[in-house]
Amino acid sequence: MKRITCSGCSLLCDDIIVRTDGLFIDEVIGACIKGKERFDQVTSPNRITNPMIRKNGELVKVTWDEALDYTVMIIKKSSKPLLYGFSTITCEAQYNGIELAKEIDGFIDSNASICQGKVFENLLDIGINLTSLTEILNKADLLILWGANPAETIPRLLNKVLFSRGKFRMTGREIKTLIVIDPVKTASFKVMGVRDLALLIEPDKDIDLIRTLKDECCATNAIPEKGVAGIDQDDLKRLLLHLTSAENGVIFIGQALLQPHKNYNLIKELLELLQLINERQSKGRISLILLGGHFNMAGFDHVALSNYGTYGSLQFENKKLKNENTTLVNKLKNEEFDCSLIIGTDPISHLPYSLSSRLAKQPIILIDNKKSATYHLAQVVLPTAITGIESSGMAYRLDQVPIELNKIVNPPSNIPSDEDLLLQLITKLNSKDEE
Amino acid sequence: MKLILNTIRKIDNDQLKEFSFGDDKSLEEKLAASFLNPVDFKKAKLSSSSNVKISSPNCSVIVKGYEDVNVPEGMILLPVSIWSNQLTNIEQGEIKYKNLSVEIELTNEPVLSFKNLLKRIKGV
Repeated sequence: MKRITCSGCSLLCDDIIVRTDGLFIDEVIGACIKGKERFDQVTSPNRITNPMIRKNGELVKVTWDEALDYTVMIIKKSSKPLLYGFSTITCEAQYNGIELAKEIDGFIDSNASICQGKVFENLLDIGINLTSLTEILNKADLLILWGANPAETIPRLLNKVLFSRGKFRMTGREIKTLIVIDPVKTASFKVMGVRDLALLIEPDKDIDLIRTLKDECCATNAIPEKGVAGIDQDDLKRLLLHLTSAENGVIFIGQALLQPHKNYNLIKELLELLQLINERQSKGRISLILLGGHFNMAGFDHVALSNYGTYGSLQFENKKLKNENTTLVNKLKNEEFDCSLIIGTDPISHLPYSLSSRLAKQPIILIDNKKSATYHLAQVVLPTAITGIESSGMAYRLDQVPIELNKIVNPPSNIPSDEDLLLQLITKLNSKDEE
Repeated sequence: MKLILNTIRKIDNDQLKEFSFGDDKSLEEKLAASFLNPVDFKKAKLSSSSNVKISSPNCSVIVKGYEDVNVPEGMILLPVSIWSNQLTNIEQGEIKYKNLSVEIELTNEPVLSFKNLLKRIKGV
């Protein structure tokens, strides 16, 4: 029996027990449905275990040498390579991915740029109060889910933070208040108790709620009698009371708050509200947690920041970082790329048609261990080991804490890890240069 | 009928799970789906086996329609998938996955298959 960390989602639960003989996994104890699926992927019928190249419209199995030579040929022909994904691989592999982008003068970006990474863009101007899971487990008395549904996306999060009995308190769930703000009555509403607050907000009216709370922080009686955004006056007063009197409150932000708006910056206004609330706070503070789904979505920005002093997307030119303020969306929209290397993600499914159709026009090199829509359109497919089960490394949990992932069994057919494969590509590109 | 489209993650309609363990049929069954409030469901004259054509200014898809009391009136939910992302959009240089205006109508046309979606994206 081994205790390991699960790489099924960004919560990175470190209390999973696995029974294994080093060859096969016999039993997994303590994992949620998403964690169980992660372990089941080892023997999934749709798992990719051989490198493949598209020939006459069909993907056919080839040797590693042939696949790597073909990949290098595509990259060498390219003058504007685009690298994307990187949130389901380790930080070591992310580092190698950035080094590869540097080597080939490419543009590199991670899934975070269309998700939680957007919050960081506002940090420099306003500042942010982040917190850790340990702090929440032990001290939190107010939990707010705003546009987030962890019951279905990060299944064990609420078990841990809502029902935990902290080290510094003699009490648990009974002193914790859960507030859910969402237009849809999601599965996360189902764990609510009598002292909790369910706020069914009107769609796309979060800005009205934020501005009303900001006004109320600055002047009393700013809450209109008829309420705001479908939430009545009493509930708004209760919300503000909780926010200003909690000893240790945390707001979990989901994708719903990260949507673009024509006339305002919702995240900026939310961060300003938090500042105002914390100024009024009499007992403690309110912090934020960004709910990214992929197990190392937070990692890419940490790796980019520590090695290149910047986060988000990176563009290299003449093997140096170029100061270019561009995004994945612009690169795809303006077709400023002539091949793509996709790692551990499925942009053909996840991007709007206007972008996925442009991505599909140019050769796609896919590094992944499972089939996807991108797999069906890729020119070359390179399989890798499943991180946290068949390969090890570092990942950043959703609270920005680095966690070590361990290898417990060998991958089939000597499939390399993402880290090793990216290094092999760099080495092969350099050796071709010398030839 | 005009509705607000929101794409959401649902544990029973999970694309990663279907790609890992399912096939094209299960992918279509689980992901080519939409959820409406019973009032809107009735207004659109849908029944339990109905297909719905959902159109945004840029594109349209045909998926199955299901009643869901947890969905507010005036809204339609689609699980995050290749189907829902035919309707998502770019705004202010960013991808907009929520609160998109769409038009829906009952249709006798079949659900857009995964293979045909890939062909559309590839431009074949």
